[in-house]
Amino acid sequence: MKSNALKVNQNDNVAVATEPIRKGSPVVVNGERLYDAAEDIGASHKIALAAIAAGEKVFRYGEPIVEATKAIGQGEWVHVHNTRPIPPDSDSA
Amino acid sequence: MEFLGYKRKDGASGVRNHVLVVSAVACANGVVEAIGRALPEVVAISRTYGCSYDPVGLPVLAGMINNPNVGAVLIIGLGCEGPNSERLVQSAQSKPAEALIIQKDGGSTATTAKGIEIATRFLKELHAQEREPAPVSELVVGLECGGSDAFSGMTANPAVGATADRLVNQGATVILGETTEMIGTAHILKRRGATPELGEQVERLVNEHEKRIRAILGDEVAGMVIAPGNIDGGLSSITEKSLGCITKAGTTPINEVLKYASSPSKCGLVVMDTPGYDIDSMAGFAAGGAQIIIFTTGRGSTAGFPAIPVIKVASNSEMYHNMPGDMDINAGSIMDDGRTIDQVGQEIFDLALRVANGQQTYAEINRSAPFGYITGEFVL
Repeated sequence: MKSNALKVNQNDNVAVATEPIRKGSPVVVNGERLYDAAEDIGASHKIALAAIAAGEKVFRYGEPIVEATKAIGQGEWVHVHNTRPIPPDSDSA
Repeated sequence: MEFLGYKRKDGASGVRNHVLVVSAVACANGVVEAIGRALPEVVAISRTYGCSYDPVGLPVLAGMINNPNVGAVLIIGLGCEGPNSERLVQSAQSKPAEALIIQKDGGSTATTAKGIEIATRFLKELHAQEREPAPVSELVVGLECGGSDAFSGMTANPAVGATADRLVNQGATVILGETTEMIGTAHILKRRGATPELGEQVERLVNEHEKRIRAILGDEVAGMVIAPGNIDGGLSSITEKSLGCITKAGTTPINEVLKYASSPSKCGLVVMDTPGYDIDSMAGFAAGGAQIIIFTTGRGSTAGFPAIPVIKVASNSEMYHNMPGDMDINAGSIMDDGRTIDQVGQEIFDLALRVANGQQTYAEINRSAPFGYITGEFVL
């Protein structure tokens, strides 16, 4: 099945849309159909692969890139509206 | 694994066998360009500076002269600019090098005629040289990105990362540069150091660069390093943006941290302090001895570099198909054709070996080879 999102690293909890994904349509990551998008996701934007709790880190390229400022559900859009940069003094390893 | 290269006296192997005609000072550019017009096969490089104290330019030119892809060098000086030409001739260790000085050699017209004679002789000598097998471990490959788009960090850069890992596994040297595009990842790169000291070196490099940007541009502007366009493209933090850039370097440890334009002494992955500006960054790699540069682009950069084959990797199929005579590889196939990052990484690796054996890249065919280098401390 043709993918519409890519996951780069095994440890990632987000995938990135390769084309716009409409709310309710299937998310296909690296050829595997996972679930339906919970909201509209723009091309090159991130989508949660699993539920992410507030304060939990978001992983892309296998590394923490931001932390959630509120609970994010599976299939939801992940961006600056529900995350923030990880404070420099926090232990990101 | 081997490629067929041109052996130099110092043991290095070039993937090309160019005659380099180089200007020791801007006033010599007219003669350099005239020789280039008369003999299109030579690589003629002009420069904007050179008369006054030039602590960056001379090492860059010396590095270009010593690049393994250069088989012979003709240096054109003016005469009153100081000892630039002599120094450059002395720096050419492993190949024939001659200098002409316009004020001593009869002015521009006579110097051009003499230069054409010398360069013609060099071309004839180099044509007689045959390629010989050399291990892939002798390759030094620079990694560059320019004109990036939202897909660069999804397709082209991770694919080049898979290529970088393959090159390192073969014992080759891979150079990650563009310090500006490492900001936000100092803590991650620190863990990649082969030793704790190397980790600290790379962390310091990135942190000091960030401080320099903040000191010059101010905190407010420096905060714009992740621009509104990046946010529209889906990037949520500077760390995410920079990870998309450094993913080009693959997953192996960092074995050395280099100053701009200096040569690696270690194999494997090395980091060089270069600016984000593509041409100046590629000059650092070329002067450091890179025989090949792999360059990812999303918007469609056409830039190559003098004497160095530059492989263009497109991040998306639309641009690839829109610029068929510029792009060597379509990493957009990861999104459109169900190809994996690893498959495209192998495709780039295979092409890099064919390029090492002599296949021309589009930037070479197009003779797109702008020359430039940093002239002091860079900001972006």
